[in-house]
Amino acid sequence: MTDEEATEFSGRIREALRMVIDPELGYNIVDLGLVYDVAVEDGGVVRIAMTTTTRGCPATDYLKSGSRDAAWSVPAVEFVDVALTYDPPWTPDMMTPDAKQHLGIG
Amino acid sequence: MTGVALSRWTMSYFVAALISLIVAECLMVAGFGYPAAPIEAPETLVLVHIVTIGWLSLLMCGALFQFVPVLIARPLYNNTLPLPTLGCLLAGLFALLLSFLQIAGIVPSHPACFVAAAALLAAGFGLTLFNLGRTLWAARPLPLPARFVVVALLSLGATVVLGIIFTLVLGGIATVPHLLNVTALGLPIHVIAGLGGWLTFSAIGVSYRLLAMFMLAPELEGPTTRAAFYCGTGALGVAILGGFAAVCASGNVIMIVSAGGILGLAGIACYGRDVLHLYRARKRRVIELNSRMAGVALGNLVATLVVSIGLLIAGVFGKHVGVVVFLIAFGWLTNLGLAKLYKIVAFLTWLECYGPVLGKTPTPRVQDLVVENRANKWFVLFTVAVWCAAASLMLGAPLPFRLSAGVMLLATVGIIKQLLRTRRLANVQPTLRLPKGVRPPHLLYCWVQPT
Repeated sequence: MTDEEATEFSGRIREALRMVIDPELGYNIVDLGLVYDVAVEDGGVVRIAMTTTTRGCPATDYLKSGSRDAAWSVPAVEFVDVALTYDPPWTPDMMTPDAKQHLGIG
Repeated sequence: MTGVALSRWTMSYFVAALISLIVAECLMVAGFGYPAAPIEAPETLVLVHIVTIGWLSLLMCGALFQFVPVLIARPLYNNTLPLPTLGCLLAGLFALLLSFLQIAGIVPSHPACFVAAAALLAAGFGLTLFNLGRTLWAARPLPLPARFVVVALLSLGATVVLGIIFTLVLGGIATVPHLLNVTALGLPIHVIAGLGGWLTFSAIGVSYRLLAMFMLAPELEGPTTRAAFYCGTGALGVAILGGFAAVCASGNVIMIVSAGGILGLAGIACYGRDVLHLYRARKRRVIELNSRMAGVALGNLVATLVVSIGLLIAGVFGKHVGVVVFLIAFGWLTNLGLAKLYKIVAFLTWLECYGPVLGKTPTPRVQDLVVENRANKWFVLFTVAVWCAAASLMLGAPLPFRLSAGVMLLATVGIIKQLLRTRRLANVQPTLRLPKGVRPPHLLYCWVQPT
C-alpha cells in the first residue's frame, strides 16, 4: 500500500469513526481528539489507538466496541484492533476548534 | 466487558430511595413526627430513619455501586450482591419502623421485630461494606476521592454498630449496663457518623470526581483537597472514637463532639474552596442543571453551617438542633442527591440503551434524554420549600412547616416525573429513540447487554 493509499484509507476510517460519539459531550470522538492514531497495514489491518475523557468512564467498553464496529463498516477492512491508552491523558485542548465551539468551551 | 460495567441494580436502589422520600414527605405533610411530636419521640424516629436509611442511604449505596468503580477505574467486586443487599436493607428498614411503631404503641409489641431489624440492617450494610471494601482494597493505592469513600464506609460501620446497640436496648433485648449507657449518651455520635461521616463524606468524595468529569474541570488532588480529607477524617475520628471513649469513661460527649466540629468546619471550608475552584476552572462554560443544583446544595451546606454557628453563639443550638438536622438532610444531601440523580439516571439509561449500538447507528447524546427547562422549576421550588420549612421549624410554626413539606412533595413528584420521562426515553427524538437492536429500558433495573 502506497503512502497516498494508506492516508486515504485512514481518512475513510476516521470518517467512519465520526459515527461514534462521546455520550456525555455529545460530539464525535474524532473531533473531540479521543482518537490518537489510526494505522493501516497491508491486508486491511487497522490499528486504532484511542482514549476516553476520563479514566474509569463507564462508557469505555462501549466506546471501544463502537469504534471497532464503525471501522469494520469501511470496505476493505479485514481486521480491527482498538487499543485504549491514557498516555498522554486527554485534555479539552485536544479538541478541534469546531468541537470546542460546539461545546462552548473557552 | 473488561472495564467498568453498568451496575445492574443501581436503578432498583434509586426507585426504592425515591419511594422512601415520597413516604417521608407525606408523613411530614400529615404532621407525623417532629415538629408535631418531640424530637426523641418514636414517631420522629420513624420519619428520621425513612429519610436516612430509606432515602439517603439507599440512594448513596446505589450510586456507590456504580461510581466507586469509576473512582478507581476497576470493576465492582461482585455485581450480583447488590440485589440481596437491597432486600436485606428494605426488610431491615421495615422491621425497624415496626419496632418504633411498637414503642409508640401504634402496633402490638413483638420483641422479635427489634432483633430482625438489627440482624437485617447489619446484614444489608455488612454486605455493602464487604462489596465496596473488596472493590477498594484491590485498587490500592487509592486516589484521594476514593479515600473519602473509605472513611465514609468506616463511618457507616460505626453508625450501624451504634444503631444495632440502640435497637437491641430499646427492644429490651440487651440489658448490659454499659450498652444502656451507650444508648443514653451515644445519639450525637450516631447522628454525626451517619449524616457527617457516611453520607456527607461519600457525597464529597464522589462529587470531587463527578463535578470535574461533568464540567471538564481539572481533577484536584492538591493541598486544599488533602486538607479537606485530613481535617474531615480528623473531625470524624475525634467525634466518633473520642465520643465513644467519652461515653465509656462517662466524660462529656458534647464537648468532644464540638471539638470534632471545629476540625469539620475547617474541612468543609477547604472542600468549599475546591468546589469554587472547580466551577471557576471548568472548560464547559455552560453547565448543566445537575451541576448548577449541586452548587445550590453546597450553598445550602454553607448556609446551614452559618445558621449552626449563629445558634451556638446565641446559646440555643440544643433547642433548634432539629432545624440543623433537617437542613443537612434536605438542604444539603437531598438537594445534591436529586441533582445528581437527574444526571445519573440519564447517563445510566443512555449506557443501557445506546451503548451497545454505538458505532453501528446514529445515537442521541445523554443530554438528549432530558429537558432541563421542564425540570428546572421543580428543583428551584424544592430548594425554596426546604428553606421555608426550616424557617417554620425555627419559628415553631407547625402548619407552615406542613405546607412547606407539601410544596417539597409537589416538587419531588415533579422531579420524579422528569426522571420517568428520561427512563422511558420520552424526551428523545422519535427518529433516534429506538434504533434496531435497542430495547426499551426497564424502570426497576438495568438490562446489561453485551458489547
